[in-house]
Amino acid sequence: MRKRLLALGASAVLLLAACSGGGGSATSTAGSAGGSDTLTIGEISFPASWDVNGLSIAHYVTYFDAVYDTLIRQDGTGKLVPGLATDWSYNTARTKLTLTLRSGVKFTDGTDFNADAVVASVKAFKASSTPDLSNAQYISDVKATDATHVVYTLSAPDPMLTRWLTGSLGFMESPKSLTAANAKTNPVGTGPYTLDIAKTVTGSKYVFDKNPNYWDHSYHVYKTLTINYYESPTALLNALQGGQLDASTFADFSSLPQVQKAGYTVNRSQLDWSGLIIYDRNGKQDAPLGNVKVRQAINYAIDRAGVLKAIMDGNGTVTSSVFGKATAGYDPSLDSYYSYDPAKAKQLLTDAGYPNGFTLTMPSSSLINQSLLTTVQQELGAVGITVKYTDVGSNFVTDLLGGKFTSSWMQLASANDWQFAQLALVPKATFNPFHAGSSDANALLATMQSGSDADAAAAAKKLNTYVTENAWFVPFFRIDNLFLSNSHVKVTMAADNATPYLYLIQPAS
Amino acid sequence: MLKFLARRVASGVAMLFVITMLAYGLIYLAGTDIARTLLGQNASAQAVTLKAHQLGLDQPLASRYWNWLMSALHGNLGTSWFSGVPVTQLLAARLGVTLSLVVISVAISAVIATAVGVWAAVRRGWVDRTLQVVSLVGAAIPNYLVALVLVLVFAINLRWFAPTGYTRPQDSLSGWVAAITLPVIALAIGAVAGVAQQVRGSMIDGLRQDYVRTLRSRGLSERRVVLKHVLRNAGGPALSVLALLFVGLLGGVVIIEQMFAIPGLGSLSVSSTTQGDIPVIMGVVVVVAIIVLLVNLVIDIALGWLNPKARVS
Repeated sequence: MRKRLLALGASAVLLLAACSGGGGSATSTAGSAGGSDTLTIGEISFPASWDVNGLSIAHYVTYFDAVYDTLIRQDGTGKLVPGLATDWSYNTARTKLTLTLRSGVKFTDGTDFNADAVVASVKAFKASSTPDLSNAQYISDVKATDATHVVYTLSAPDPMLTRWLTGSLGFMESPKSLTAANAKTNPVGTGPYTLDIAKTVTGSKYVFDKNPNYWDHSYHVYKTLTINYYESPTALLNALQGGQLDASTFADFSSLPQVQKAGYTVNRSQLDWSGLIIYDRNGKQDAPLGNVKVRQAINYAIDRAGVLKAIMDGNGTVTSSVFGKATAGYDPSLDSYYSYDPAKAKQLLTDAGYPNGFTLTMPSSSLINQSLLTTVQQELGAVGITVKYTDVGSNFVTDLLGGKFTSSWMQLASANDWQFAQLALVPKATFNPFHAGSSDANALLATMQSGSDADAAAAAKKLNTYVTENAWFVPFFRIDNLFLSNSHVKVTMAADNATPYLYLIQPAS
Repeated sequence: MLKFLARRVASGVAMLFVITMLAYGLIYLAGTDIARTLLGQNASAQAVTLKAHQLGLDQPLASRYWNWLMSALHGNLGTSWFSGVPVTQLLAARLGVTLSLVVISVAISAVIATAVGVWAAVRRGWVDRTLQVVSLVGAAIPNYLVALVLVLVFAINLRWFAPTGYTRPQDSLSGWVAAITLPVIALAIGAVAGVAQQVRGSMIDGLRQDYVRTLRSRGLSERRVVLKHVLRNAGGPALSVLALLFVGLLGGVVIIEQMFAIPGLGSLSVSSTTQGDIPVIMGVVVVVAIIVLLVNLVIDIALGWLNPKARVS
């Protein structure tokens, strides 16, 4: 009996050893990193659906870039380059944008890509419930003047329109697919790959095959692309250490030494800033916030370098300005406009008529880093401002946008001047629930919208200075976005997207 | 027997109704802003309201549950609010993955635990004492910790296995075996410890019974007495523990699937719960509830076969 058991056990071990596939080998179960003409990417998000009018940018862009092309692209510096459109131009009033389209391109269902397809796409976008609906807010009409020319008519100048055409508004889906019942699960674009539905497991593993009829030969398209979604940071770290991935989004700063030891290069970009937004800067509800000295005091009360070290392990750049490095309004001298000076903060509060400070109510949520909230409370408390937190749970953003709080922590993207202005600066901005503003700021915003490129850039710089000096916000730092790559791939980070565009992830050799 | 089965099925169906009702209510009590989660934080309030209306979230809770229930009774569990994939399709793609992990873990645990438990009960002495210590340690260590160690040693350092991922058996049988080896070991280690202790205890009690002395006096070999007679009588409690084990592993597999990036029901339930994808959450609840009820029914039948007295109780 004992001998039989031993023999059985030995056989089992031998069988398992024979069946095992090592990490990174051809039998690796999650895709072969560095395999022949295959690219395996790790991601921390997966697309809700393949509907181009859903969430398709940020960490979803690698998925969508695989099957769809945009009308315009960006190179790594943020410069606009041709995509499905080869040329574009505005009229003098900047209320008409004419695109010249590439000819001879087909969708993977055989439908021709032409001006009618673009018109259908824009109309579907405007009729959808896409979260990026505001991108099309100024488009009053879109017409195909011939097969290769489209004219967008705008109700007002939109400096962001050509940028939007590199993102969700610019993804082109086959007109037949726009109205198909399976549009959410079966993407039909002009992109470099087609989705292998048989091998794909929604919410886990997405496998793409090279589109043999792809029109763009300017960059390498792999034979097979696999994008693996990792819900658990531990699983992603293990996959990287096991060499299963060629490239990956990565957000676990504390594990950077381990992935670097595993041979990965850490590529960085900065898009978002983290800090406080003072919504009620006109003092309608919280009178102290209407005083510029109070807002400046809050800026001086925060130890930005300390917070960056404690919260992000130093992965970011301290700043006092909300205009990101990729914006025309960026001014490096404003990064250090406010130093950490609690004594000066107290003096400013006294000068403003609040020698004993005052109380601020801010929202808290399990969605936010609790250490950060505690630090803010402590540092403001040290200068006399008592912060009381109200837990709003998962309704954090809803409550903010509804004007329930006069200030809060927030993290916002700031990679494009007008985009950021629409998000947080214009009186009707999403994150301006109290519609705060000033005539000086409004004048600069008007130039940013309607002026020439040079005038808009100059206005953005002035606005950055104005907003910083008047302490509309209390930014702490710009956050590093990380994207890892092994020795087989070369990555160029995008100027305005957290994840590189797929065409910027190429073989190293 | 038929009456017994009919009673159990009827009570199972009633329990299923109660479970789905409670689950539906709990999801809405969680208060997640589902429409905003779908549209993203930058969506306007107007878009969020429109989305909520499209999903029927502005309807009364009872009405929403009734509509879901009527569809489910016709075999339609709806479509994912996020991916648009039919819920039955999502479940079908993942159910087999989870069941393969759980069933194989339970089977391996049962075989090893039975062998070890019987050995400890028969041999006693150092074997029995070693089993008790090992059981204590095995039960104390969480299976995700075991998984971490297994991955570190066998996948990352020795590169014998891939640290994450899953291969379907129809794509590659050897790949499938390799993919589930470490997860199954992680699940089975704690399970073996618990079941072996139960088998050991039942066997020791059984070996003390008078009928065993009678069987030995009739000249039956010790092996026949232990394996054919005592083990069968001691099997009842162990089967009950196995049923509990199966249910426990269905829950425990969630973390293991996440750690190994295995596309099973566990990872689906986590992602759908985080997103507030109610059709998918309810689909998972229904499937898991049916599995648990079926397992309990099968165990009851097996207990009845092992012990005829249980059939009429």
